[in-house]
Amino acid sequence: MKQEERSALRSLPSGVPGLDAVLGGGLPEYSFNLIAGGPGSGKTTLAHQIMFANATVERPALYFTVLGEPAIKMLRYQRQFSFFDPDLAGSAIQFINLSAEVLEGDLDAVLERIVSETERAKPGIVVVDSFRTIGGQHDGTWRGTTFDLDRFVQRLAHHLTTWEVTSFLLGEYATEEQRNPVFTVADGVLWLSQATDRNSVVRKLQVVKARGRAPMPGLHTFRITDSGLQVFPRIPEQTLKRKLPKAERQPTGVPGMDEMIGGGIIAGDAVLLTGPAGSGKSTIATQFMVAGLAQGENGVIAVFEEYPEEYIARAGARNPDIAKMVKAGKLEIIYLRPLDLSVDETLFSILEAVDRIDARRVVIDSLSGFEVALAPTFREDFRESLYRLVGTLTATGVTVFMTAEVSEAFREARFTSENVSFITDEIIVQRYVEIEGALGRVMAVIKMRGSEHSHEFRRYEITPKGVVVGDSLKEYDGIITGVPTLRAKPKRAKN
Amino acid sequence: MNSAGNGKEGLSRDRPAREIVRRLIDSQGSAQTEGDTSARAAAAGDHLYRELSRWVGPDGCHALFIRAHADARNEFPPLGQIQLRAGSEPYMGGVAETVAAYGDTATAKALESMLTHLVELLGRLIGDDMATKLIEQSAFASKRANLTFHSKREKA
Repeated sequence: MKQEERSALRSLPSGVPGLDAVLGGGLPEYSFNLIAGGPGSGKTTLAHQIMFANATVERPALYFTVLGEPAIKMLRYQRQFSFFDPDLAGSAIQFINLSAEVLEGDLDAVLERIVSETERAKPGIVVVDSFRTIGGQHDGTWRGTTFDLDRFVQRLAHHLTTWEVTSFLLGEYATEEQRNPVFTVADGVLWLSQATDRNSVVRKLQVVKARGRAPMPGLHTFRITDSGLQVFPRIPEQTLKRKLPKAERQPTGVPGMDEMIGGGIIAGDAVLLTGPAGSGKSTIATQFMVAGLAQGENGVIAVFEEYPEEYIARAGARNPDIAKMVKAGKLEIIYLRPLDLSVDETLFSILEAVDRIDARRVVIDSLSGFEVALAPTFREDFRESLYRLVGTLTATGVTVFMTAEVSEAFREARFTSENVSFITDEIIVQRYVEIEGALGRVMAVIKMRGSEHSHEFRRYEITPKGVVVGDSLKEYDGIITGVPTLRAKPKRAKN
Repeated sequence: MNSAGNGKEGLSRDRPAREIVRRLIDSQGSAQTEGDTSARAAAAGDHLYRELSRWVGPDGCHALFIRAHADARNEFPPLGQIQLRAGSEPYMGGVAETVAAYGDTATAKALESMLTHLVELLGRLIGDDMATKLIEQSAFASKRANLTFHSKREKA
């Protein structure tokens, strides 16, 4: 079948940033959906967001409230979200309470009321909140009477579909309840959950079922803010539309460093610079960014360990143009310090900034701060998370320059932290050495995919203008130990 | 921040809320005989109860009326004889007895005050704009509002 023929299934926008991509292109029109999840998981807010994104006076949305949260309280809270337009309430969005029918215990009356209201209003969207209070227990009884839930759900789905309605049933279900008939009949099932890990709470969304669609698999984190839900897809669209990096080198802006890496960083690569505290990682990262800005390449810096103003003040001491570049919209400094971030959320913020200013360079300073900023649950799979982060960013064609702090014992060199070397194309390490009773700094290139590079340890200095790479320490042995020894000069043979 | 969180500085009883209530009472037809004014006010209350129940549920609506009744009762003693009967038609009972005891004008004023309290209360809970809109939409635009107080209360 041709693609155009398959596209006949029209989609409605969910109104939730990120969700349409997860759903494989939006909500199929006239589908019968279940939004399931525990209390406080965001079901009602999600349903409201969908309604406000789609309802019109001509094709209104009907919101049936049953038992549970009183309608007045629901409206009081929902209207705090920015998507809630009070002007639409009562006209494009109509609230109808079914509690009288439900309390009577008459399921036929419930169905009849939904159908008659649908017939009257000719809505485009119908929401039943909470369906669980109608659906009762799946043991054939409801409010003391026997009833056939399968038949009720079937009839409801038939009616709503024949009235060309896209419908959403909201309910509190546990994962083991997925044999409930509503799961079978539903065309789509969205599962919302929130998990607590130590002091952090992480919300996740899963598309359990989506007939006629190829949704994005897996659990996607989401956040509820004043604007409502925002979903952060695990696989951002940018990954799916990978750009081939340009075959060019980008100067690092660090005198002597380009020479070590074969003429500059390969555009589109992921670079990791590791070193102990005070070794100049952030200084080099800033120099890399400033060098790009100087040749018209916009950039994004994600900082985790200091506020943007602090960063600008510190970096500006050596690079006075930094603040100007930020003002001019050529450089964005993203501050990501909360302790309950998800990787996808971080990635979203960076990607958004990259798109916004068409950036060519991204600095992540530092991975160590990034790891701390993540919710504990994401720290467990930090490597996998970083893999996704770096893979997605480089897929956009940007060069990613990351710093990572390594703790350093003097007699033992650690090249990278977190075992993250596999995700990078280039690794540069820094370390302290003791030479002639003084503390010195050296760096070396450990890895550079597809390019020749220096294999020497080179001394470097942190000057008022930034890092400057000097000579190699050819006359020393044991640099890697941190305490090199001067190699004895070969004695000249006596004639 | 919308007005839903503004405490008691909602719809002014002297202006929008009272205005809505008066329009609602007027929509019940014109007074022709003694007792008509309070009967129209009672019919407006019945109608508001029925229409608001559609979206807040009969229990939620009854709770709103109970609170409004309690708020207005101190100022208007005739309300002491008015009964609010959840799920009954008409919703407000004891109107004729109250008219007999206090007169048509005093009873009508008391009922109007109670309804005004109710509109204000709704405004404080969900925001004046949305409360006004929902009442406008349901109580005035509804086809179910076509019956006048005579036909409805006579039916009862």
